[in-house]
Amino acid sequence: MYKYPTWKYILVMAVLAYAVIYSLPNFYNTYPSIVAKTFDSKDITEADLLALSEESSLTFKGVNRNNIFFESIDDQLSAYNILTKLKSYSFTLSNYNHIPKWLDSINAQPISLGLDLKGGVHFLLQIDNQNVKKSRLNKLESNLRNYLIDNGIRYNSTVSEADKVTFKLIETSIDSKILNTLSDIFSDYEISSRKTDEGIAIVANLSEESITNDVKAAMQKNLTILRSRVNELGVSQPIIQRQGKDRIIVQLPGLQDSTRAKNILGSTATLEFRLTKGSSDDWVASQTIGTNTVSESILYKSKDGSPVLLSRNVIASGKDIEGANSGFDSQTNQPAVFVNLSSMGASNMLETTSRNIGNKMAVVFVEEDKNQVINIATIREAFSKRFQITGLDLQEAKDLAILLRSGSLSAPMSIIEERTVGPSLGSENIISGRDSMLLGMILVVLFMFIYYKKFGVIANIALIVNILIITATLSLFQATLTLSGIAGIVLTVGMAVDANVLIYERIREEILNGNSPNASIGAGYNKAFSTISDANITTLIAAIALLTIGTGVVKGFAVTLVIGILSSMFTAIVGTRALVSIIYENRSNKGLSI
Amino acid sequence: MFRLIKDINIKFMSMTKAPILLSSLLIIVSLLSISVKGFNFGIDFSSGYIVQLNFTNQVSVLQIQEKLAGSGLSDSTVQLYGSSNDVLIKLKDEETFQKTNINNQLIKIFADEKFEIIKLEYVGAQVGSELREKGEWAMLIALFSILIYVAMRFEFIYGLGAITALIHDVIITLGVFSIFDLTFDLSVLAAILAVIGYSLNDSIVVFDRVRENNIVLRKMPIKDVLDKSINQTLSRTLVTSLTTLLVVISLLIFGGDAVKNFSIAMLLGIIIGTYSSIFIASTSLSYFGIKRPEQS
Repeated sequence: MYKYPTWKYILVMAVLAYAVIYSLPNFYNTYPSIVAKTFDSKDITEADLLALSEESSLTFKGVNRNNIFFESIDDQLSAYNILTKLKSYSFTLSNYNHIPKWLDSINAQPISLGLDLKGGVHFLLQIDNQNVKKSRLNKLESNLRNYLIDNGIRYNSTVSEADKVTFKLIETSIDSKILNTLSDIFSDYEISSRKTDEGIAIVANLSEESITNDVKAAMQKNLTILRSRVNELGVSQPIIQRQGKDRIIVQLPGLQDSTRAKNILGSTATLEFRLTKGSSDDWVASQTIGTNTVSESILYKSKDGSPVLLSRNVIASGKDIEGANSGFDSQTNQPAVFVNLSSMGASNMLETTSRNIGNKMAVVFVEEDKNQVINIATIREAFSKRFQITGLDLQEAKDLAILLRSGSLSAPMSIIEERTVGPSLGSENIISGRDSMLLGMILVVLFMFIYYKKFGVIANIALIVNILIITATLSLFQATLTLSGIAGIVLTVGMAVDANVLIYERIREEILNGNSPNASIGAGYNKAFSTISDANITTLIAAIALLTIGTGVVKGFAVTLVIGILSSMFTAIVGTRALVSIIYENRSNKGLSI
Repeated sequence: MFRLIKDINIKFMSMTKAPILLSSLLIIVSLLSISVKGFNFGIDFSSGYIVQLNFTNQVSVLQIQEKLAGSGLSDSTVQLYGSSNDVLIKLKDEETFQKTNINNQLIKIFADEKFEIIKLEYVGAQVGSELREKGEWAMLIALFSILIYVAMRFEFIYGLGAITALIHDVIITLGVFSIFDLTFDLSVLAAILAVIGYSLNDSIVVFDRVRENNIVLRKMPIKDVLDKSINQTLSRTLVTSLTTLLVVISLLIFGGDAVKNFSIAMLLGIIIGTYSSIFIASTSLSYFGIKRPEQS
């Protein structure tokens, strides 16, 4: 009989070793953990962490590198609350896999679970292109106006449209030199002149390219800001990724409070500091008699809805704030935000406060079109760089400090897709996936055993190795396993035996045609090969077409399907052949158990 | 040897009328339903919110509906989900949610209840239509690539036969989803593409045998060649469909709601695909006409 080549045995053994080793990490326990990092990115030793245990009188399940791990999530969360107050390191919640060092050293890690399996939030954010355009246009208008005024070019009116600004001049002609200078100064825009009914107008066009550049720059800034905001949420292994020209994906695994995350991520909130100008009586007076105090001030609302009149001049705003922390006022013990101003903001603040001792200053919370005065205090002494803001509750103070630290988004972003899975649903999904896989396996394995006897057992061994290969490959490439991915694996279980069914049916036919067992085996494998590859390649084509859609649900399914098809071809054709050869090759067989 | 089917010789090619009639009827009904009634698109394709809430206290659908309507959200569907603590709410995409996020709105609407968000899915209108477009493209690309592959490996006629069977499967599966108002979402699209690949397997196995027999049994009339090929591969076709059905049924039983629609689509696809690979694919081969090897 035809001898099965040695290199194929070696190949099968190598693949088997790969499958076993790289799926091993999935069989070790995973513990909830806390990752510690120094603020200056120095290394942390395990001794440092054990010292923490002493300091906080907490008991850890164990430590590894910069990981502290715990028996339960409750232990982890209560320890997190205590540790973060120590402020010796920055802490993030995470999961620690208690795998042996040798596995770790060959980069063998457990499969990373998708958000639908471990709970968490997925956001797709889109930058507001119109807003970017609008702010660019506003800047252009004010720059151009300043230039015209400075150079004594008088104009009647300005019109600002979708992508251009028009200044209608009083003069009826314009020197081409002026136009050339304008073009040089405002080189990002297309400057031209246009005759109108009344005279001549200067038109500044925003080019498509400059808007694209603006969006690019705004995206870059927003990405940085979102990263720093996400870091403040204390989520382990968050993903913040740019998608396409104007979108950002944010994934926060294991997040408990999606409400807060959404409020913080999308917030364009910032602060403004203004002096009060006029009292509410003035406002009432202006409403009834029409005094003119009000024309120099702007009407705001305070938290309780009462009217407040503030000066039109801003002393300092969010962009002048360099640092912010939340804490408590040392005297009143109220929640407070401690603010650090930049040198520009500080000198402005010093100048204003020293001239206005005894007057009142207001802190305005600004978010898009909503403004709210959160605090009004009397200036008792001049101050510049550092000061504190009260008038918020603890959570508000914490969130505001985060927003001030990260800076404000350079253009608003809106959520255009969201998938939130609570932690309880995540673990439910894991159980669903596991159970359906187990039942599917049991049914198929039983059927194959009953229908094909010993050859059925061989196919079943191949099936189990196939699952191991899929697991190992997903682990090695750290592909994310989702529930739909599990569905893909379950489906592979049903379809993987197809190759063996084709081979075995062919062997049976050969035997029924009166061929010898060994010849039938050879013929079965050889004749079925092209059919098997044709059938699998077409499924592969469909799976790859699915990959082009590229979205979470579909992608997970397609990826496991592709891996499953490839590995099942190997196990069903090369793998089972090796086993069959070991059993049947060196003896004369009277019949086959098929 | 334990065999489901023993030495049979069913004359499939002499009983093509009933399957053709049945399939035509199913296709006409499906197409009618798809064009007149359309699909019950899930939020993946239609945009909107699905929120699953777990209330600490028991609630009723009416109570929830009243609270939503009180906040101007009357255009919503509410259903209990497993227990009277769990509620599934579907909402249209409202502009107010964009400004102050939906979580804050929910907290406001159900201010006097304690609840936890179990699941929240939102797809914006733009993303929804993009997904639909991508889905349509994926389906077309898959069908077209398969046509090319089969035409290359076999002959063009076989490719045509395979695609006929495939389009038949896809239309009827889509038809069932339309007729019975089953939710059509991304996972269903994934299932249909998987079915395209899978049901083609069956046709290819038969075609492979046809090609082989067509050469070996060159004197046999083509109808008999087709019959023989189907009969020879019949037990394989049924065994494979059975093992795949077993796993899909276990997905349907244990997989939970997230894969329910997927499993239903797979189940339908496998059954229809098996039927079409036996009755439709080969029939269309004889209809389109296969080249016979030269008689010597």
